Amino acid sequence: MALSAFFGSSRGVFSTAILLRAIFLVYGLFQDTYSPMKYTDIDYFVFTDAARFIAQGQSPYHRDTYRYTPLLAWLIYPTTWPGFWFSFGKILFAVGDIITGWMMFRILRAYHNMSQERALRYASIWLLNPMVATISTRGSSEGLLGVFVTALLWAVLAKRIALSGFLLGFAVHFKIYPFIYGASIIWWLDNDRIHGRKSSTSPEPVSFTNQTISFLNPQRLALTACSLVTFMGLNVVMYLAYGWPFLDHSYFYHLIRIDHRHNFSPYNTLLYLNSSPKTDVNTSTQPSLELERLAFLPQLLLSAVLIPLFLSKKDLPSTMLAQTFAFVAFNKVCTSQYFLWYMMFLPYYLPESTLLRTRSVGVSALILWVLGQVFWLQQGFQLEFNGHSTFVPGLWASGILFFVVNTGILGIIIRDVQSKDALTGERNAVIDKKKA
Amino acid sequence: MKQRITYLVEDPDSFTPEQLQVKDGSLSLIGLKAVQEHRVTFTLDELPTELRTSLKQWRELHIKWASHKPYTAIPPFTSRVSPGLHVSFTRRKSETTGQLCELIHTFFDPAAKCSSGPDANEVATPLFQVDEDGKQTASASLQYYTYLPHLTHFASFLSSNLCSASSQCADHAASLQDASSFDIDYTPSSRTLTLTSLTTPPSSGWKTLIPAPSPDRPGDTTEVGVLTHEPNPDPEDLAFAGFLTTLGPDAAPKPTRFQAPARHYPLPASSRDLAYSASFATPTGLHPTLELSFSPAGRLAPPDESCGLYAHLTLPSALFLDRYQFSDPLFLASKNLVSLRHVTGATDLEAPDWVVPQWGSAALVQLALPEQSPKDANTTASIPLHLRYLPAAPRAHTLVPAPWPVVFWACDMAQDPSGNPFDRVNLGYETAFAPGTRFMHVPPATGNGTAELVSWIAVPVLDTSAAGWVEMGTIGVVVAAFAGLCWVLFSGGGKREVQQDKKTQ
Repeated sequence: MALSAFFGSSRGVFSTAILLRAIFLVYGLFQDTYSPMKYTDIDYFVFTDAARFIAQGQSPYHRDTYRYTPLLAWLIYPTTWPGFWFSFGKILFAVGDIITGWMMFRILRAYHNMSQERALRYASIWLLNPMVATISTRGSSEGLLGVFVTALLWAVLAKRIALSGFLLGFAVHFKIYPFIYGASIIWWLDNDRIHGRKSSTSPEPVSFTNQTISFLNPQRLALTACSLVTFMGLNVVMYLAYGWPFLDHSYFYHLIRIDHRHNFSPYNTLLYLNSSPKTDVNTSTQPSLELERLAFLPQLLLSAVLIPLFLSKKDLPSTMLAQTFAFVAFNKVCTSQYFLWYMMFLPYYLPESTLLRTRSVGVSALILWVLGQVFWLQQGFQLEFNGHSTFVPGLWASGILFFVVNTGILGIIIRDVQSKDALTGERNAVIDKKKA
Repeated sequence: MKQRITYLVEDPDSFTPEQLQVKDGSLSLIGLKAVQEHRVTFTLDELPTELRTSLKQWRELHIKWASHKPYTAIPPFTSRVSPGLHVSFTRRKSETTGQLCELIHTFFDPAAKCSSGPDANEVATPLFQVDEDGKQTASASLQYYTYLPHLTHFASFLSSNLCSASSQCADHAASLQDASSFDIDYTPSSRTLTLTSLTTPPSSGWKTLIPAPSPDRPGDTTEVGVLTHEPNPDPEDLAFAGFLTTLGPDAAPKPTRFQAPARHYPLPASSRDLAYSASFATPTGLHPTLELSFSPAGRLAPPDESCGLYAHLTLPSALFLDRYQFSDPLFLASKNLVSLRHVTGATDLEAPDWVVPQWGSAALVQLALPEQSPKDANTTASIPLHLRYLPAAPRAHTLVPAPWPVVFWACDMAQDPSGNPFDRVNLGYETAFAPGTRFMHVPPATGNGTAELVSWIAVPVLDTSAAGWVEMGTIGVVVAAFAGLCWVLFSGGGKREVQQDKKTQ
């Protein structure tokens, strides 16, 4: 079969992935040159403007809406050179995509014991995904994060503790949200994992002190220390170089932001409603409970506590998928580039998932996921371009609907990861004890 | 108190000296069809103590108001500002309280957007200022704007608080409601406060008696000029002929003729009848595009090669422009724009309206000219704007005023216009140009159903009357989803059958 022959050769798949991005890049250059509608993402102009400020010895935060670490602007420093160098950043992001895909391939081969063809097939979810290729060639940095997060996963699976700690600290410095992976990685790094699987069968007296001591194994401590040192080290360096604006724009802004502009988040309409000043004093509306202030609770409980605790020892990559999925679905802001965050874990989860095994479930999940967005986008278009006030019920309902679909998919993912344990019979005891 | 009342006759052929009659030191006007400029100058000593004290807190204060009703401007009154109330000022350093907002709320509009925070800099924004090379520099002067359709509040405040039983004063205050534009200028160096109103004539012309100043106030003078605009003797001068009367001493109007270089100049004959109109492309959505179109298109030619065509935009805080959009030459060319020369004020790209403390923003955009045959060319310039989110309200849309911009040619000028008695400064945009710049204003189109020089944009807002269940609905769904996922987590794995029931929700 031609398709299996194609996936039989890593050279073929990677060449295609590179070619796909090269075509998009060249097409983008063409469109940017001849059309007032730009292919290049607005964010790319933000990054390159920030890099220009850096090149002039100034702070990247002189550029409005630059809310990233200065490292990003430094990474694309060559974009300040004349001519074709302007596209350096996009090439860097696209190369990052390919490296990510290559690491996925290696992880699938080494830790999921896949054949080369099967591994390439699943890595292609990322490598040959037009959405991924478009995002990076338009110059959005989300794809670059894929390199760090996938490298982190690979380093963890390879038990390269120091490297893992470094990558984790770096990823959190870069984009904050990967801190949730810290919880699952640390929980995953138990003594059984380190010393081989047999040791768990030896009966040991269980006391709180013993449990604590065995929990605080050297690997966990080393990982925590390495990641904290990297994270804080980078922050200190950036703070010394760029001062308060660095902390303000790369961290505090993301913590306190209330994004009123419509987005996929289920909280969006509520945030608009409750942050907006009450214009009409006469209509006495019932006082708001302001429960949206607690929105971080379900989000963090799921993504940083419960999912890692229940799932990570069963299947770390799929747990990271579930964590990211929960984080994005329950976030107060959600745009389509956030979907890339969990897409980078799909190749590890999908092969043994219900979504692929039970075709009806997979297809309906995909259709509902797409439909939820289509419905929302249609309402958003009516608002943004036709000026119809679709906030309620249209946008609100479609945001809620999409959230419900996401919750359903997340439920399937969680159940899949849990059932892996049952099939392989690993470490049920630990979980059961925890539950009791 | 010195009054200078100038009438600029609209149609010189219709004017006869018999329309002016001096009797007992007073002047009667009989059916005079002329634009009236009424300028009253007070020295500080003539003002009530309270007002004097509060004025002293300003280093400089200029208030320019323009009506939203279209009017025909004739020389020398061709200068314009966008409809609404513009305040530009410099403060004394020691003063940091909400003096500005107090001024706005007390005198003009108690409902104007002006938060009396501790620092007026939050509300007001820097004026344009350029250095000798034309680069934007920091300005010590600040500006404020609010859309104000009429001066009713100011007029009634004036007559009830400051006119103290003078019927002439009350009449004058009431007449402000018919004014097309109104200026207040306070300059401490000259220790004067000047009020200037510009009013177009009633349809039957002015029929009025202007009394001589009261003899028990020896300092007061009233000077009335009735002038016609003369054909052009010198390309940079404006020339006038007519009659001047100093009420009281003069027994008859004295003929006069004079000329002076002018900063604001009418369009040259080659551009006669050229006018612009502003509108928004529909639907406006959240990204309205301001379209400036010129007609007749063939007349859109620069008066001389030093001239550039500009639009000065005054945008209330609900509207803003994204200066980064104006950097791509292809994009600019497709909109018939040359560049965004300056922008100052609230330019935050993300903030909703209610967290923006400033009044809004001002921008100066250079427009592109049709290249060759202007008759066939597209002479519409499009300026992309964006809307901020407005507060949720018990309706689906909130109307936002977008005052029409001021559109003018800015040209080099050889002479210093400051000797011109009608020279008008502190309009907000002159400081963006070198001192020797002449402004030739393209007037807004008055015909064809132009009811007002402001476009109203319906901004979609969250309708609170339909959003009663949003809070409980959102929280209910989130809590249910959270509980459901917890149940999946806690109920343990290993039961593959259950997935079949669950499927997708």
